[in-house]
Order: sequence, then C-alpha cells, then structure tokens
Amino acid sequence: MTEPAVAVRSLTKVFPIPFRRTKLVAVRGLDLEVAPGQVYGLLGPNGSGKSTTLKIILGLVSPTSGSTAIFGRDSREVGSREAVGFLPENPYFYKYLTGAETLRFYGKLCGLRGSALKNRVEELLHLVGLQDARDRRLGGYSKGMLQRIGLAQALLQEPRLVVLDEPTAGVDPAGSRDIRDLILDLKRRGITVLLSSHLLAQVQEICDRVGILAHGLLVREGRVEDLLAIEDQTELILQNATPEVLAQIAALVEKSPAQLLETRQPQTTLERLFLEATNNTEKK
Amino acid sequence: MKHRAFSPVRIAALTGNTFTELVRLKVFYFLLIFALLLIGSSIFMAQLSFQQEFQVLKDVSLGAMSIFTSLLAIVATAQLLPRDMEERTIYTILAKPVPRYEYLAGKLAGVLLLLLVSLLAMTAVFLAVLFVRQEMLASETLRQTTGLRPEQVQEAVRALKASAFSANLLPGIVVVYLKAALLASLTLFISTFATSNIFTIFVMVFIYFIGHLQATAREYWLQENSAGWIAKTFLALVALAFPDLQLFNLVDDIVAGTTIPNGLFAQTALLGCVYTSVYFFFAWVVFYGKEL
Repeated sequence: MTEPAVAVRSLTKVFPIPFRRTKLVAVRGLDLEVAPGQVYGLLGPNGSGKSTTLKIILGLVSPTSGSTAIFGRDSREVGSREAVGFLPENPYFYKYLTGAETLRFYGKLCGLRGSALKNRVEELLHLVGLQDARDRRLGGYSKGMLQRIGLAQALLQEPRLVVLDEPTAGVDPAGSRDIRDLILDLKRRGITVLLSSHLLAQVQEICDRVGILAHGLLVREGRVEDLLAIEDQTELILQNATPEVLAQIAALVEKSPAQLLETRQPQTTLERLFLEATNNTEKK
Repeated sequence: MKHRAFSPVRIAALTGNTFTELVRLKVFYFLLIFALLLIGSSIFMAQLSFQQEFQVLKDVSLGAMSIFTSLLAIVATAQLLPRDMEERTIYTILAKPVPRYEYLAGKLAGVLLLLLVSLLAMTAVFLAVLFVRQEMLASETLRQTTGLRPEQVQEAVRALKASAFSANLLPGIVVVYLKAALLASLTLFISTFATSNIFTIFVMVFIYFIGHLQATAREYWLQENSAGWIAKTFLALVALAFPDLQLFNLVDDIVAGTTIPNGLFAQTALLGCVYTSVYFFFAWVVFYGKEL
C-alpha cells in the first residue's frame, strides 16, 4: 500500500485565550488523507481551521492531540519538510533581496549549492515567468509577482508535496490563472498539492478531492465530482440545434416520466470574459 | 535523502541574510556615523599634557565604542524575530528543513557579525586618531627639545609612544565585543516571548542599568553588617537573573594605563562566552515550543 502524502489522524488543536478562562478550539478531531499525486482543496470560511491545519502539517504549530504525517514521517520531525514546499497566505519576503537572491537564499536552506543551486534558480525564474525581474528587489514587486516568487521558492527542492495557503488571494484574474496553470502543471508532474482557498470556482476546476471545514469540523469530504453531482438530473449541451430539434426533444420528454426543468443558453465565465477582454487590449 | 540535523551551510545562509537585513537599517548608519564622529572629533581635543590627552582620547573612544556596540546589539536583535513573524517570512523559512535552533543561531550570528564589523570600523578610526595625535605630538616634542641630547629626546618620544599605545587596548576592545554579544543573546531570549520589539528594548534598557548598578549596590549592602538574609537572598537572585555588566568594564583600567592581567582577561572572556551561550540556550528552549 502506498504511503499517503498527508495523513491527519484525530487532530485537535485548542488555543488558550490569554487572561480569559475560555479556550478556542480551532480544529476538532480531524481525520484526513491526501493520496500521492492528488490536488486536494481544503475549504471553509474564515476561522474554520484551514490555516491551523496546514501549519500543524508543516510543524509550525503543535497539535493538542492527534497527529499529522507527511509521506509517513511525523510532521514534528524537521526532516519531514525535505519533501514539502510551502507558500503562505499573502507572503512577504525580504524586500531588500532581488528575485534571484531570494531563491538562492531559500535554496541554500534546502541544502542546494554550487551549480545545482544556480541552475535550479534559473529554471524556476523561467517557470514562474520572472526572468526579466530577476535582479529587481522584491520591494518593487507587484502582489502577483510576489505570489509567483513565493511559488518558485516552494518548488526549490523539487518537493513531492506542495502546500498552498490561499495561493490566489489578492491576485488579479490573469495572475490567478497563471497560478492555476502552475498547479495543474505540478499535478501533471505527479506532485501532490494541498491547498486552501476561498475561490470555490477555481477549487472546483483544479482539485480532485475537497474537504470542507466549519468551526474546526470536517463537514464534507470526497471527490469533487461525487460531491457536486445531482444524481437524478442529466445535462445536455447541444451546438447549432434548430428550434425543430429542440421541440422534438421537448415532445419526447413530455411523453416520458422525465421532467424538463430548464432550457437555457450556456454562459461563459466572468473570468474567461475578463481574460479575453484584457488580452485583446494588450494585443492592441 | 537523509536530513542533516546540523548544517553550517544553512546557518551561514541565515547569518548572511540577517547581516544584510541589519546593514540596510537606517538606525545602524545613524549610530555608526555618530560613534565614528565622536571618536574622530577627539583629534581636535584641547591641548593638554600628552598623558592627559591620550587618557581622555581613550576614555571617550572606548566609552563610545562600548555604548554604541551595546545599543546596536539591543536595537538590532530586538526587531529580528517580531519582524519575521509579522511579515510571515518565518513560515517560509521554518517550513523548509531548518531546525529552530539553526534559525536562532543564524539570527544571532548575523548580529554578531554586524557588531564585529562595526567594532572593527570604530577600532580602525580610533587607532588612526591615536596614531595621528601621537605623530603630531612627537614632532612637536622634537621641536621643543632641540637643545637636549639625542638619548633624552629618544626617551621623551618613547614615553610619549608608550602613553599612546599600550598592550591592553586589544583585550579591552575584545571585552567590549563580548559584552555586546552577551546583550545580543539576552535580547534574542527576551524577544522569543516578548509581544513587541519596543517591549524587548524597554526590558533590555532596564536590564542594562541593573546589570551596571548591581555590583555597586551589592558592595554597599553587603558592607553593612545589618544586611539581613532577605537582602542577601534578593541580591543573589538579582545576580543570577541579570548579568553583572560591571565585570565587563575594563575601560577604566585601560585609560589609567594599568595592565590587564591575562588571568582577568581570560576569566572575563570566558564569562562573556558562558553568558552568551546560556542566554542562547534559554532562547532556544522558549522558541522550540513557540506556536507560530
């Protein structure tokens, strides 16, 4: 049996509130497994325990009870992070470093050096499209560029698991699409991705499996298709259908026990419309 | 791949980054320029006898070096952890296979490197001022002693040079550095549980004064026969909790021209290293269990 990329077992995290007798239960008895190669989305409103769960998986916060493991190694072992790349929500890196210097710094922390480090830095700058900004200080980077350099630092040691906390928060649609494409590219390369997000449409598009947290409890979990499917309904999408064809279908449905609920023209997404419009303007 | 529990490369990367971060601080330049100006201005000192002049020059310069390095050690270290936590850069570092003691060691080593560079810069200016004044006074002495025999002239110049440069300058400067290292390590410890860098600086200023005054208070109270066990216990606790910074004050001996015995220097240096290590250990103990 293959080892899960992430295993969370009966995880509970309680934060004591200073100067008060009450305690905040951030995560309650969470059980979760992410299989290798999967893109897993952790969803939930603010304060539902998503970030706390990710921090415990990364060993940044210790669990009150239960355990977490990365490819079979307890998260509390520093060595478990050899296999992980992490991008926190709204990351601020050292503003006085350039893009290339930032990657070199994090590369050294991952044990890279010499020509291996140099080549990896160049490769990643190219991957995230920041070759032209490589010698600019991060203080002058836009939000989207910071997110991309953050993603590059998360990929430095060629991790088997990438953890992304709100990877598209505050990024414009074009930047958000780039990050989505990068995640899909990671998936193609067999890298496991665990992400938390508020952008449900994007999660639906890229995740194989999702877990929904509310008040620290896992309230839904499963494959995206299974969770979203309405079992007693069927969708037909036709192209160039004449009114006669539509009338024939409607007549057929009327004769059957089935019920036609709605006939409408499919719409493009607002994201696609935005990207088409802004791309056309750029070309002019 | 087997994870290495200790990696000098990782610590060196963190040290280099911390040093760069601190060098970009405006307060560093402000303090360094102020200290260099203070040392440099000694060259224009009022005409005194050469022994007095060299004494004042050493007093001012070594005092400036001691205060500046201590102040820099506190101010620079106090903001390192809060800034990394506030800007979340700590997450990206500790989510890599970096043990927490390496992170702290890198931060402290970065400060120690900054203190070393600053102290070397100040020492260079100090020695240059001392040398210039010595040469100026030597040529003046030669002019004033035209009627004397060559042996007498040579004796006068030798006395002047001995008064300017003495062997105990170097140990004195090393002790100034060790005191700053101790303060940096203690500041790092305080900052692992402090709520803000202002709080850390405030606590450190308090400790700095207690550290300097406790020896005097101890002597005064213990001389009194009436000092009861409560006073003695209190003083013992103060001595344990706060470093006795007066032990690192060898400037007075240097200025007076007293030779610092090797034993005293070694003892003070060892004490500085022990204090620095113990405070670093405390910092690691607190930081190890810290929720980020």
